[in-house]
Amino acid sequence: MSHPTPDVYEQGKGMDAHNQVMREIRSRKEASYDPHEPTRVWLDEDNTPDGVKRSLTIILNTGGCRWARAGGCTMCGYVAESVDGGSVSHEALMDQIDVCLAHEAENGDEPADLIKIYTSGSFLDEREVGAESRKAIADTFADRERMVVESLPDFVDREKIADFIRHGVDTDVAIGLETATDRVRHDCVNKYFDFADFEDACAEAAAADAEAGGDADAGIKAYLLMKPPFLTESEAVADMIASVERCAGVEGCHTVSMNPCNVQRYTMVDDLYFEDGYRPPWLWSVAHVLRETVDVDAIVVSDPVGHGSDRGPHNCGECDDLVQKAIKDFDLRQDPSVFEQVSCECERTWEVVMERERSFNQPLTH
Amino acid sequence: MTDYFEVHARDGAARVGELRLEEPRSTPALVDDVLEDAGSLWSADRAMPEGDDSRLTVLPHRGFPGGTAEEVRESFAVSYPDVDYPSVAVISSEGAADEGTDAYAVSDVQSITGHGAALVEAIVNVREAVPADTAVYFSGVATPRNVAVLAYAGVDLFDETAAVVKGTQGRYLTTDDAYFLEDLEELPCACPACRKPREEFTREDCVEHNRNALAAELGIVRRRIRDGRLRDYVEGQARQDQWLTAAMRELDSQWGYLEERTPVLRDAQIDAATGDTIRRVEIQRYADRVTTRYRNRFSNPLVLVPCSAAKPYSESQSHRQFHDAIQWRAHLVSMTSPIGVVPQELETTYPAQHYDTVVTGRWSEDEKRFVSTVLRRYLERNAYPEIIAHVPDEGYRDIVERVEAELDLGVTYTVEDHPTDTESLANLQRALSGELKYSKREREHNTVRAIADYLLGDGAGDDLFEDIQTTSRYPKIQVRDSEDTQLATMVPQYGTLSFTLEGAKRWVDGEAPTKRVEIDGFVPHGSVLAPGIVDADEEIRVGDEVVVEGPKAFGVGRAEMFGREMAESTRGVACEIRHVEEK
Repeated sequence: MSHPTPDVYEQGKGMDAHNQVMREIRSRKEASYDPHEPTRVWLDEDNTPDGVKRSLTIILNTGGCRWARAGGCTMCGYVAESVDGGSVSHEALMDQIDVCLAHEAENGDEPADLIKIYTSGSFLDEREVGAESRKAIADTFADRERMVVESLPDFVDREKIADFIRHGVDTDVAIGLETATDRVRHDCVNKYFDFADFEDACAEAAAADAEAGGDADAGIKAYLLMKPPFLTESEAVADMIASVERCAGVEGCHTVSMNPCNVQRYTMVDDLYFEDGYRPPWLWSVAHVLRETVDVDAIVVSDPVGHGSDRGPHNCGECDDLVQKAIKDFDLRQDPSVFEQVSCECERTWEVVMERERSFNQPLTH
Repeated sequence: MTDYFEVHARDGAARVGELRLEEPRSTPALVDDVLEDAGSLWSADRAMPEGDDSRLTVLPHRGFPGGTAEEVRESFAVSYPDVDYPSVAVISSEGAADEGTDAYAVSDVQSITGHGAALVEAIVNVREAVPADTAVYFSGVATPRNVAVLAYAGVDLFDETAAVVKGTQGRYLTTDDAYFLEDLEELPCACPACRKPREEFTREDCVEHNRNALAAELGIVRRRIRDGRLRDYVEGQARQDQWLTAAMRELDSQWGYLEERTPVLRDAQIDAATGDTIRRVEIQRYADRVTTRYRNRFSNPLVLVPCSAAKPYSESQSHRQFHDAIQWRAHLVSMTSPIGVVPQELETTYPAQHYDTVVTGRWSEDEKRFVSTVLRRYLERNAYPEIIAHVPDEGYRDIVERVEAELDLGVTYTVEDHPTDTESLANLQRALSGELKYSKREREHNTVRAIADYLLGDGAGDDLFEDIQTTSRYPKIQVRDSEDTQLATMVPQYGTLSFTLEGAKRWVDGEAPTKRVEIDGFVPHGSVLAPGIVDADEEIRVGDEVVVEGPKAFGVGRAEMFGREMAESTRGVACEIRHVEEK
C-alpha cells in the first residue's frame, strides 16, 4: 500500500513540475462554494451487474480534493478550494444530502435504485467525510439496491464498505484509476498511486464481498481516462485497450467506465488546448476501444462528456451525435453491433490520425 | 555533430541540403518513407533502436506540444544518446538545444504554423540553438501552399501527413488554396491522380493529388534555392494566405537571423515586383553600406540622375546621354527604387546591377519614403559644392525636394520635361560649365577605394589603397602597389574585389576589420572543408572575401558559408581558396 497523504506524494521531479504548474493554473480560478449545497446532482440510467437501473448521481462538496490542493491531476478542473480549512462539517454534509433527496423527489417518479456519490476526492477518506457522516449517509440510503462511492484506492477497506453492505445494499467503490499503465498515470495524469494499489483495493472489496456472504455484493468500478495530455490518439487507444483488459482481469473489479478526456477550465489540458497543443479524443477511438474489449470479463461502459464540442470528444461534427448514441446504446446493452450502424467519411481521417499522429506533430486535426 | 546532413546551397535562411542516407536525398524534402520513429517516452519505456544508414531514426523522445509549461518541459526533458546512424531529436521550439543529432523535429509545430509571428519566433529559436549543418523537421504541417514559406524560413524536412489528412477530409490542396472538393466542378490540376472524370474522383484520389501537389511544390522550392531566387518566389507565393505574408514580413524584421544567412552576392536577378522587395536583406544592406561605409572622394558637384532599366546604368542609352553632357565633371549618383542611391563607383556592386523593377512611373509612398531616407542619410554623410538634380517629375523630383527641405540644401533642377530631351541635357551641361574634369586615374582609384569601403568597412578604401596604381580597363581594374605588385582585381560581375596574397597581407596588417578563417595545420588547395576550420569571424557572409590562415598556410578566398556556420559545421565546403602559400 502506498502513501495516502499529498505530502508524501510529493516525490519526483516530474510531479513537482506538474504540481507547481497546476497550482499556478488553479490559482487563476476565483469561485466560492456553499458547503450546504452539493456541487451537482442529477438523475440518469446506469448499467450495473444486475442490469440497467435508474440512478441518482451526487457530487458531494467535501471541501475538494486534497491532491488538487498540492497541484493535482492535469485534466481535472473539479476543485473547490473556497471551503475554509478544507473540510465540511457533518451538519453541512447532511444538508447536502437533503438537497439531493429533494431533487430526486421533485424530478423522479420514485426513488432511484442506484445511488452514486462522488466527491472529487475520496468519500472513504475520513478527513473528507468522517465516519459519523459516512454511516449516516449509508443509513439514509439503506433502502436502495445499490450504492457507488468514489475513493482513491488507499482508503478502500472492508470495514468501511461494510457500513453499506450491512444494510443489504450492493456496494461499489468507484476508483479513478485513469489507466493501468503506471507511467502514464504518473507522467501524463499526475496521479500518484500504482496499479498495485488498485489491485489491493479490489482485494479489499472482494474480502468485503466474501464476508457479506449472499446478503449483498461489494465490488470495484474502475474509471479510466482516455487520452490524457501528451499521448497521441493511437497511444491513447492502445493504453485504454490494455487498461480495460488489465482491470477486467482483477478479481473484485466488475465494471470499467472508460471516459474520454474533455477540456476543463483551469487545467493543464486547457493550457495545452489554448495553444493548439491538445485535442480531445475522437469518438471513433471510444467506439474502437469498446469494440476491441467486448470479450473481457467486466461491464465496459463509456460516458463521453461534452461530445461533439471542440472541448469534448468529437469526430467531424457531422456524425458526433450518432456515434455518441451508439456508445450510450452499447453502455446499456454491451452489444458491439451497435457500432456497425454508424459510419462516416471522417472514419478514414481518424484512421490516418491513428497511423500518423506522433508526439512531435500532434494534434493533427482540430 | 552531423555525418548525415550536408548543406550544398544557401538562399537566405533556406538551404538545399543532402540527407546522406544509403540513397541520398536532396532537401527541402519529404521524409515519410525514410523515417523510423522509436517512439514516445510518455507512453512507454523504449529500447534504443538499432538504426541504420538507410533511414532517419527518431530517437526515443518526449514531445512537448504547444502550451507545455516550462517547468514540465524541463523536468521531463530527455537526453539523447550519441548514436552512429542518422538520427533525429525531438525538441520544443521554446527549449531548443544542440542534441548532437543530424536532424531536429519540432514538437510544438502545430502551434506555430498558421501564425506568422509564432512561426518566425520558433524557427529563429530553433535555428540559433542547433548547429547550422543539421536539418530542421516540421512534421504534420506541410501543404502545397505553405511549404515554400516554411522552407524560406529555414525548415529542411517535411512529410505528407497534413496533405494526406486534409485529403481524407475532402480538402483539395493547391499552391493557392485548400478547396472543398465538393465545390470543385472541375479539377484544377493535371497530375496523374487528377486524370479522371470529376465524378469518379474520390477522397482517396484527393489524397493522391495532395501528395503530388506537395511534391511538385517542393521541387520548385529546391530549384529556386539553387538559383538563389526563392525570395522572389515567396514574395508572390506568400500572398496566397495571410499568415504566410505575415511570416515573410516578420522574418524581414528578424534582421540578425536573415542578414547572417544572406549572401553578399549572387548570380541571380532580384525581381523588384512587390512592396516587400524594399525590405529584403540585399536591398537594406546595400542602402546601409552606402550610407555608413561608402564615402565620396570626388570634389566635383553631385548630379542625381534616375536609374535605367539596362545595367550597369552606364551602359544604358539614357546614362550615355547624361555622360555626354557631364563629361566626368560631376559625381554621378543614380536614384532608384528599390535600391535607394547608387554612386557611380558602386554601380556594378551587387545588387545594383542585379535587379529588375516594374516600371510604371507610379511610386508608392513606401518607395518614396525609403529612397528619400537613403538619400538624406547619404547627403548627411557626403558634402558637395553643388547639387544638381537631373531627374524627372514622377517620384524622383518629389524625393529630392523632400530631402532638400529637410537638410536645407540648395538644389539645381535641370530637367524640363524628360531627362533625355535636348533642352534638359543642355541645362545639365550648362549647370556644369566651368567645372573641371577629374582624371581616369582619380576615377579608377576612387572606384576601388569605394568598393573596399563597401565590402570591408568605413575607411577601408583609404587604409588599404592609399598608395596605389591601377591598370587594365574598367570594370576589370587591377590594383597594384607602388612597386607594381598586384594587390587585387575588381570583379565586374559583382562589383567586388578579389585579393592577391599581397593584398590579403595588406588587409591583415591594416586597420580595416579582417574577415578571418582560422584553419588547422594543413595547406588547403581548392576547397576548405568545414572540419578543417578551427574558428571563423562571425561577420563573414556567403560570398565574402576571406583571409584563410593556419599554422602551415596563409591564403585568400571566398566564403561559401557564413562565419558561425563555418565554425559549427562538421561537413561541407566552407570556402574556396584562390591563392595560398605555405608558411
